[in-house]
Amino acid sequence: MSKGSNRPHPHNHLFGEKVKPKYWASTVKRIGSYFSNQKWLLSLVLLMVIISSALSLLGPFLIGVAIDSYIVKENAEGLTKLLIGLIFVFIGQSLSIWLQNYWMIGIAQQTVYRMRKDLFKQFHRLSISFFDKRQHGELMSRVTNDIENVSSTLNSSFIQVFSSILTLVGTIAVMIYLSPLLTIISLSIVPLMVFGLKWITKRTGARFKEQQRNLGEINGYVEEITSGQRIVKSFSQEKRVIEEFMVKNERLKESGYWAQTFSGFIPKLMNVLNNGSFALIAGVGGVLALNGKVSIGVIVIFVEYSRQFTRPLNDLANQFNTLLSAVAGAERVFEILDESREERDEEEAIELSSVKGKVEFKEVSFSYEGDDQTVSGLSFSVKEGETVALVGPTGAGKTTVVNLLSRFYDADHGQILIDGHDIKNVKRSSLRSHMAFVLQDSFLFEGSIFENIRYGRLDASDEEVIEAAKLANAHSFIQKLPKGYKTILNQEGSGISQGQKQLLSIARAILANPSLLILDEATSSIDTITEMKIQEALQRLMKGRTSFVIAHRLNTIQQADQILVLHDGGILEKGTHGELLNHKGFYYSLYNS
Amino acid sequence: MWKVFSYLKTYRVAIAAALFLTLSELAVELMQPLIMAKIIDDGILKGDLDVVKYWGAVMFGLALAAFAAGIANSFFSAHVSQSYGFDIRRRVFEKVQAFSFVNFNKFPASSLITRMTHDVTQLQNTVFMSLRIMLRAPLLLAGGVIMSLIVNWKLAMVLVVALPFLLFFLRWVLHTAGTMFRDVQDRLDGVNRVMRENLMGMRLIKAFLRRDHESSRFEKASDDLKVQTVSSLRLIEVSIPVLLLVMNIAILAILWFGSRQVNLGAIEVGEVVAIVNYSFRISSVLTIISFIIMAFSRAKASAQRIGEVLDTEIDLIEAEDTDQSINLQKGHVEFKNVSFKYPESDAFVLQDLSFSVKAGETLAILGSTGSGKTSLFQLVPRLYDVADGEVLIDGTNVKAYPIDTLRNGIGVVPQEAVLFTGSVLENIGWGKEGASEEEIVQAAKDAQIHETVEKLPDQYETRVGQRGVNLSGGQKQRLSIARALVRKPKILMLDDSTSALDLKTEAKLLAALRKYSCTTFIITQKISTAMEADHILLLDDGRAEAWGTHAELLETSPLYVKIVQSQFGEEGFQYVKGFKQTSST
Repeated sequence: MSKGSNRPHPHNHLFGEKVKPKYWASTVKRIGSYFSNQKWLLSLVLLMVIISSALSLLGPFLIGVAIDSYIVKENAEGLTKLLIGLIFVFIGQSLSIWLQNYWMIGIAQQTVYRMRKDLFKQFHRLSISFFDKRQHGELMSRVTNDIENVSSTLNSSFIQVFSSILTLVGTIAVMIYLSPLLTIISLSIVPLMVFGLKWITKRTGARFKEQQRNLGEINGYVEEITSGQRIVKSFSQEKRVIEEFMVKNERLKESGYWAQTFSGFIPKLMNVLNNGSFALIAGVGGVLALNGKVSIGVIVIFVEYSRQFTRPLNDLANQFNTLLSAVAGAERVFEILDESREERDEEEAIELSSVKGKVEFKEVSFSYEGDDQTVSGLSFSVKEGETVALVGPTGAGKTTVVNLLSRFYDADHGQILIDGHDIKNVKRSSLRSHMAFVLQDSFLFEGSIFENIRYGRLDASDEEVIEAAKLANAHSFIQKLPKGYKTILNQEGSGISQGQKQLLSIARAILANPSLLILDEATSSIDTITEMKIQEALQRLMKGRTSFVIAHRLNTIQQADQILVLHDGGILEKGTHGELLNHKGFYYSLYNS
Repeated sequence: MWKVFSYLKTYRVAIAAALFLTLSELAVELMQPLIMAKIIDDGILKGDLDVVKYWGAVMFGLALAAFAAGIANSFFSAHVSQSYGFDIRRRVFEKVQAFSFVNFNKFPASSLITRMTHDVTQLQNTVFMSLRIMLRAPLLLAGGVIMSLIVNWKLAMVLVVALPFLLFFLRWVLHTAGTMFRDVQDRLDGVNRVMRENLMGMRLIKAFLRRDHESSRFEKASDDLKVQTVSSLRLIEVSIPVLLLVMNIAILAILWFGSRQVNLGAIEVGEVVAIVNYSFRISSVLTIISFIIMAFSRAKASAQRIGEVLDTEIDLIEAEDTDQSINLQKGHVEFKNVSFKYPESDAFVLQDLSFSVKAGETLAILGSTGSGKTSLFQLVPRLYDVADGEVLIDGTNVKAYPIDTLRNGIGVVPQEAVLFTGSVLENIGWGKEGASEEEIVQAAKDAQIHETVEKLPDQYETRVGQRGVNLSGGQKQRLSIARALVRKPKILMLDDSTSALDLKTEAKLLAALRKYSCTTFIITQKISTAMEADHILLLDDGRAEAWGTHAELLETSPLYVKIVQSQFGEEGFQYVKGFKQTSST
């Protein structure tokens, strides 16, 4: 479904897809780029890592001194002094560890926060058609599951990786100092490690990605089914839904199983290679010692060091694991960030400071992706302040006209002019700021009724909100609610009826006070008596501003200055109510059916 | 919460195997220094190459064995953790499917979703990690202390004194962090909620140019999440330096006491060194311990959240003695003194409703917005239970039916057409399990959507996005009608489902419905639809304002007359007055 999943992989290996390391590296780099504005804090963390590493070496060293020089020699006074000194060393060590973690957590979470914000902003930049094809829950999974994956890795990995490298370098240096030959022998396992890691990464990388994708799909399914719970229940389809869920659940388990199993190999591989290097050092060292090439002491120390050498390597290998799953998560985030922002305005796009409301469609054609032409060769013009009604059978293209006018979609051919400006050259934000909408599905947010109406104009006072509600005839039912305007509407919308939702949407549009008003089936769920009551308010609202009205109940649009009868994406008839009736055409038959 | 962990029982054997394998790995690890010593002492020092070779081979063999154990452990651990996650997701999903709407109101959708995905992932990872490294920490810890006690119990008392303090501290961290992570997960719900709202309301947000407004809402939610995550993690990370400091001070104490004992000649220097070494080994385990604490406190929070869902008591259930053989035969619907209110509110939505609709008849329900029409509908398929009175179908209380039987006999078309991701065919076929293609096409024809579907790029195989976004409102409504028709229901319930249809299409649709021998409930705003019905119920504020046929209501109900006038005007009113039903039954 998602774009990334279909990305062709040039090399298809026998065992799973190959993840290109270049791709991998660029993802890691890109995560890194989020750190860039926290450089100085990050340097502090590094400094603390260095200090804590140094102190953690100094502590045992001083204890060695304490034993050798004071305890063995029974120098109590010297010992006390040294122990007091050691207390400070240990406090310093703990303090520097604490500080590095403290800062790192801040850096990591700030990074995650920014990533989330970027993702959210990107969602708003994408065009409506992007969302037509995607499940909400699948997209939500990227904001939660995928980013959380990155989050849990960033908290610990950075410090771990850095301190491991530090220890590694230090140990190798000492080892070389002790015996270059034995060092080479112990390092001989490194190519094997790299090879093994590559082998595993090739398998896990793709699997982690798959796991995140399957998780996203489950998220999508759960979201969709939960949203449609009313249907599931009414049709008693719980069993089927559970079965479908189980298929996805099984798939997630499968991919998760292999991702985890393979990644579980990494530390074990490290272990066996380390053990191998032990044996090698012991064996080769033994032979060398027998030949008198190295002293036994060196071998003993060397074995100890090579144990030290393996610890950070092991740590690194373990981090590799979580890093893989973080990369899988991050890739899915970047996938969205890399979608082209279709909503980018033309460079020379202008702002419209005011709109009078003259609208002209010139030979406009448009089709939704993959569909037949929804609208073709559409031409009409509307004078400022006029009310235009769009009528026609369902699927005739009425909502499409409105979608094009507000640039939810851009026309494929032809021009749409407002006050003579081609709207393609007008900034979308500027264009829409002059419009107010009552859309077909009246969406309300979780929040109070006050907040929902105020969505039309954020700086409106309570009085203005109530005034708008009164005009929309919503005031009376709102007052009957136990908490009145402060009633919290929950997302599932229980509590108020569909018709009442529409009244609130109308109030919202009234409050917005636009130059261009668009009513798409604004009163379809409202009973006719209430409709009559708000009709007056709507008439008043439409007066003096250009309005587009879509309605099936033809008696609501009789006063329109112009009625466009759409059929199969073209204009079949146009005129006033009276003219069209006299014409005795399609409109006439619609009206009298 | 413990219940959630108890699901691990299913995997006893695999868990035992995984733990056993971890132990064998650990054993090899502990044996290695001993073998190493043997090689050096008996082999190299004595110049005996055979001993070196022999023990070298043994060491190599053991390393391979440990490797095999580790690899096998990966399989077992991954199996346990993934299957465990799988089980929990299944249980939660099944539970949620059994939820009543009252139950649903307790959990916002966004929260249910995170519980089913993110929380389960947390648990899963914790289980995986536990099976692989958890044992090491306590074993190394205990091993270190025991070895020190053996070496010199007096000196090792320092450790024994320090240990309870450490454990107590760890317990405190675990508990506090658990509570804090609970909050983290709840705030993640918050982020999810804003995100979901934005996706659902995207068109509106774009239309009203509220991107900045929404961004600030989202930023607030993610900032809340960030702040809480940061403080929870910081709490956890305090534990390492504190534990380390305690251990280090214990080491200093050992040195100090040790040196006094050495002075007194009560103890060998070597013993002090050994105990100090063991103490260092114990502190090296501390990192793992803090890791475990983090995983466990997160798991605890997640298990709590999942437990809440699983422990929810479902309030709308079949009675235990429900006769499973009972069938919905005809579709005669009767309301007897029915009153209803939503469980979370005090205000009655429906009051004292009584009426009866015989099988095959049509009832039109009219009323102003908020008068209780949709609420009334929900009582027939028992989506909610009545507060008072009875709803009877074929003379039997709906509560006495098995819920599946009841709902299978009813075809519901809701006000808002909800479609699912899938093909047109799948969406219509959703109404009836195993519906044949002919049945689906027939339903589509009757719902007046067949021609439209034929014109789509892939006809019946055309993909419909979530909520049917690439279809017009009227098309969605008709698909949703077809979905109800394909079940050939005994009772068909149309909740203002033709509002986006033009009158012509609607008339054709209603005509096509007549051949279905079902009882039809239809909520409508249009008199033209209502007058065709056998009965009209006019609701006002949850009460039956009027009941009768079109002709009767014109005589008896002033409100009905008012509605008629609102739609037809004075002139049309005269026409409607003379109207005779076409479908006289």
